[in-house]
Amino acid sequence: MAESGAMRTETFPVGVVGVGLADETRQIPAGEPPPLPPNAELAVIGKPHPRLNGRDKVTGAIRFTVDVAPQGMLFARILRSPHPHAEVRAIDTSAAERDPQVRAIVHAIALDDPAHAVVRYVGQPVLALAATSMSAAEEALRLVRVDYRPRPFVVDLDEAQRPESAKVYDAGAAPGSSSGELAAQAGLPVEGNVRGPARASRGDVARGLAAADVLVEGEYRTQVQTHCCMEPHGLVADWRPDGLTVHFSTQFTAGVRRELANAFDLPLDKVRVVVDGMGGGFGSKSTLGNYGRLAVALSRQAGAPVRLTLTRPEEQMDSGNRPATHQRIRLGARRDGTLTAISVESHGTAGVGLNAGVGNFAQSIYDCPNFASAQYDVFTHAGPGSAMRAPGNTPGAWGLETAIDELAERVGVDPLALRARIDPSPVRREERRIGAEKIGWARRHAAGADSGPIKRGVGMAQSLWGANVQTASSIEVRILRDGSVEALSSVQDIGSGIGVVIAQTIAETLGLRPEQIAVRVGDTNYPPGPPSHGSRTTASITPPARVAAWKLLRQLFAEAAPALDAASSDLVARGGRIERRSVPTRGMSFAEAASLIKGDMLSATETRSEDYGGFRRTMGEAALAQQDLGGVQFAEVAVDVETGIVRVETIVAVQDCGRPMNPLLLESQIHGGVLMGLSYALYEERVLDRNAGRMVNANLEAYKVAGPREVPVIEVEVLENLQGRSATDAYGIAEPANIATAPAIGNAVYNAIGVRLRSLPMTPMAVLAALGKAPTRS
Amino acid sequence: MAKGGWSRRDVLSRSVYATAGVGAAQLIASAAAAGTAAPPDASAHDVVLHVNGIDRAVRIESRATLAEVLRGPLALTGTKIGCNRGACSACTVWLDGTPICSCMIFAVEVGARAVTTIEGLARGTELHPVQEAFIAHDAMQCGFCTPGMALSAAALLEQNAKPTAEDVERAISGHVCRCGSYPHVVAATLAAAEARKG
Amino acid sequence: MRNFAFGRARSITQAASSAGLVAEAMLAPDGGARSQDFRVVKAGGIDLIDLMKEGLLAPAEVISLAGAPGLDAIAPTPEGGLAIGPMVTLARLAADRMVGERYPALAEAAGESASPQIRAVATIGGNLLQRPRCWYFRAVEFRCLRKGGGHCYAISGENRYHAIFDNRFCAVVHPSTSATALVALGAEIELTGPDGATRRVALEDFFVGPDTDVQRENDLKAGELLTAVLLPRAAGLRMKQMKLAQKESFDWPLADVAVVLDLAPDGACKRASIVLGAAAPTPWRARAAEAVLRGKVVEAALAAEAGRAALEGATPLSGNAYKAPMFEALVKRAILAAAAS
Repeated sequence: MAESGAMRTETFPVGVVGVGLADETRQIPAGEPPPLPPNAELAVIGKPHPRLNGRDKVTGAIRFTVDVAPQGMLFARILRSPHPHAEVRAIDTSAAERDPQVRAIVHAIALDDPAHAVVRYVGQPVLALAATSMSAAEEALRLVRVDYRPRPFVVDLDEAQRPESAKVYDAGAAPGSSSGELAAQAGLPVEGNVRGPARASRGDVARGLAAADVLVEGEYRTQVQTHCCMEPHGLVADWRPDGLTVHFSTQFTAGVRRELANAFDLPLDKVRVVVDGMGGGFGSKSTLGNYGRLAVALSRQAGAPVRLTLTRPEEQMDSGNRPATHQRIRLGARRDGTLTAISVESHGTAGVGLNAGVGNFAQSIYDCPNFASAQYDVFTHAGPGSAMRAPGNTPGAWGLETAIDELAERVGVDPLALRARIDPSPVRREERRIGAEKIGWARRHAAGADSGPIKRGVGMAQSLWGANVQTASSIEVRILRDGSVEALSSVQDIGSGIGVVIAQTIAETLGLRPEQIAVRVGDTNYPPGPPSHGSRTTASITPPARVAAWKLLRQLFAEAAPALDAASSDLVARGGRIERRSVPTRGMSFAEAASLIKGDMLSATETRSEDYGGFRRTMGEAALAQQDLGGVQFAEVAVDVETGIVRVETIVAVQDCGRPMNPLLLESQIHGGVLMGLSYALYEERVLDRNAGRMVNANLEAYKVAGPREVPVIEVEVLENLQGRSATDAYGIAEPANIATAPAIGNAVYNAIGVRLRSLPMTPMAVLAALGKAPTRS
Repeated sequence: MAKGGWSRRDVLSRSVYATAGVGAAQLIASAAAAGTAAPPDASAHDVVLHVNGIDRAVRIESRATLAEVLRGPLALTGTKIGCNRGACSACTVWLDGTPICSCMIFAVEVGARAVTTIEGLARGTELHPVQEAFIAHDAMQCGFCTPGMALSAAALLEQNAKPTAEDVERAISGHVCRCGSYPHVVAATLAAAEARKG
Repeated sequence: MRNFAFGRARSITQAASSAGLVAEAMLAPDGGARSQDFRVVKAGGIDLIDLMKEGLLAPAEVISLAGAPGLDAIAPTPEGGLAIGPMVTLARLAADRMVGERYPALAEAAGESASPQIRAVATIGGNLLQRPRCWYFRAVEFRCLRKGGGHCYAISGENRYHAIFDNRFCAVVHPSTSATALVALGAEIELTGPDGATRRVALEDFFVGPDTDVQRENDLKAGELLTAVLLPRAAGLRMKQMKLAQKESFDWPLADVAVVLDLAPDGACKRASIVLGAAAPTPWRARAAEAVLRGKVVEAALAAEAGRAALEGATPLSGNAYKAPMFEALVKRAILAAAAS
């Protein structure tokens, strides 16, 4: 190792394990540990270890936010607009105020400002109150009188674009920015309900289209999908004179803490955000939200803890959603399928909010010299969208991967062979090879070839997602004098099992087993960790965990070396012992070594450093690694052409995430992405009655989420794609696993029935209509 | 978020007087909010529920569902409420060994029947084979639907010692899991069945 | 939901005397809350609790039928049929040996309904009397025709899951899959009044269409209790129940069909009963399809013709025309499966 100031040079194995690794050198911070070899050579990393809180989850012992009930807790409910668009002229809370069980009332609408005294979607919060029981709160809501003057409204994406439609926002009043994970481009023009376009381009798309031998043009639609977190949004806010504590079902404790400090003018050290069990977020629980602000204000007013939890209908109407899109895609290609131009125009609706785009999928995935996209947000009087598992790229992949499949058909090239010509990624090439063999691509027949009412087909699609990293991600590791080891970070476990992954990282470094590491997360009393969105948790927190453990080990070695007659550099930690590398019989147990610590403990806190060789892009605390994440998915379906019912029989998912840390948990995550993608492809749809502007399936009965009997055979393979970019080289999986599923299924449906569906969901109604057996809605 | 929302200066602070009287803690603990003057007796009941082998005496309103009573005054929060309409099965408990949705039954109706919640599946610290298998096969992610799933899986094994994958899928068909744990739940349940045979 | 007084019926007549009409109470915007003496009886309560949680129904008293003797037996009748008590759960019905052997269509209908948790509690009586699942009907925010308002929101709105027959005024579909099978089997029900007097009515005639009265689904009177479901002799009958739903996990059917065939020794169809569920506000007899089969031997082409005939008179709405090809396929398949059973 050559040292050079604050950096030193190291050599990393780079490439896909099993395909070919080459040595590459990197400059890494001098204090960081040496490169990790491939997983096969590691003791604990890359092994299928069960999650550490598994026992708590299967016994019901783990406490979710909804389970937290401090002494004296009050129950809050929100009064919501019954109108999709209305002026709020007066609010009379006098009867509710007279109710002795009502302890606080907080308004969400500022009546004194006519520009703000408006509700713009059914379910928009008007006020919240806290009472001594849930039933008292519900009854008190009924006592509130609100004088609304309804206004015209529009909930349909197409209709909202017409100039004569009702306007969601008066001129100048439309939101210009967004909070949370997604950042809408600022300063875009707004005309009527249409904001945009946000443009991206390279080359000259008009010339590219003109130069094409073949043009594929299509319109593709995706529906509004809701998150359906099984644990509703909620918090228990406890405002006390000495500080604010909030138990919050959140994907970002540290971020919410900052939001609270800002919103309520509190110093950070007087705000604590805590979460233990967290029942799903999928992108909808990254911010404080209106409901969060209301609950804290109620607690402050009442001088008591307040729990505010959304009911399932509220979840469906007002906790965020994946926006709907309408995409017009044009592909220009040569006769062999190589691309000359990609043009994407999309109009999406996130209701009253922003970020209804189609991501960077079409822009980034394939070799194509000429590209242009214009993405528009269309305001409608409906609940605001929020990030949802691979926002943008999920609907974007539906459009583009379907269009590419149509191109393959047009030029008579097998879809896999076409990808080989246009896809520059060697990782996805390997993924295609593996997946094609597993699904049996060779036996794929021509579209619609099966006889009989049940027709089978095979299709594939690809996934592209930025490898996100949050640089402001810190973790403290401690070795205590009795040999116990702790790790502490505010990072939250939203179900991905980051606890055991952190434990594996530290255990590998210290020569211990994961169950010997006590991992404490989900509390802003600990060093601030990353958010758990954008599939960035593992990539953000495992490198500093390894670095911190590594630095502690150096200190431990320094303590143990004299007792072993060794130099520190001669010591290794393995199998629970500290040993001399050259004389393994000379050693002591880890606990013995720890007993030599002079204080009570050794502690190191580390923050995520830059990727070795730098990030591709940095935006504040968020960064993008140089190499994107990806995956390829294959689907086999059976379509009953007499009834329109699509059954997915098999999904093969081949994904990459840098260094896979825990194949058991990765498989769970991939199952989750695939099933959410399958459900998006076939069943889910927010249905808004256009005459009332109200969601008519605001439940889990008529809003259809794939259940156990819809599950296909799911074969998973994860590549070990080493890049030598951080102390663990581990990246995320949750979103990449969700992107390719719907178009893979759609392309399989085409292969089965020879008729192309371009809109989601592919319900039996849609299939029968596509087959010409029943008209679409008039 | 919608404009016309929220800033600190918009919070209209109103102090709501509260009578010291009917203690809030008492109301919460008994889950029997007074509300308007209730009809005598028949709208509130002193019952003894047999939960996880223990008799629990509790005063409840007629309208209190079993799920609410378990989670509230009985402080057994392992049972979750996901939809409150019987559409997701997160609130599954056993009634005399049969899985039901505890949000769709009034606590007052339970009577002498034995209620088993997730807290009662293990024997002390000894986990049920289904629970062991769920851990080993990672049959969970966020864990919110897990208690109900585990109870459905365990009930199946009482009825059918050698289930097929399809049997398991049918037994858990009422459960909604957004994280996608179904494949691992099926694998774990089949493994637990194998383990019990040995 | 609002609180209520809870009691237990000790006898059938006591229960009947407590049986207020849910359909009537739901005509009031407050679901009957204002009435101090509005009482309902409760079986499994799956439908009742849903209506109460939605704020559509607010009885002052709920009287449980659990424990009232004589309501949960499954027993052969002197005529060689089967009498099923209204408190028999769907789970028990699906698992019962006599039902499975003699009336497999009913066992299948009951066993494929809802989820295991719901089937363990939901009763056949409650299942037959349950109110529709129409999402406007189930939302207190929409005061629709069936609830005493002036308008059917489905006809001009979102109607993908709604009726393709008899849908001029109201587009609900009858929600009971078991009813489809029972009507096809020619079942009767027994109703008992507070004085113990009973009446029997063919189940098919018990259901009431919107033309007769859009504000209720059946002929149940105040003070009446459904006390038995009576099945005629089934020996020699061929039958099949089939349903189509988007999901196989817990989902309401998009279409369901029950076919019961009485075949002669030479295979000719003496009598056919073809009933469509999720098609109309009441279980819908596809008489034209039945006529196609009469006197002929069932085979593929005939079954297909019957499938087409089953759609005679269909008047699809803007969003549910897909049900026509679906029923056509389902009827054809159910006929063939019944003939082969």
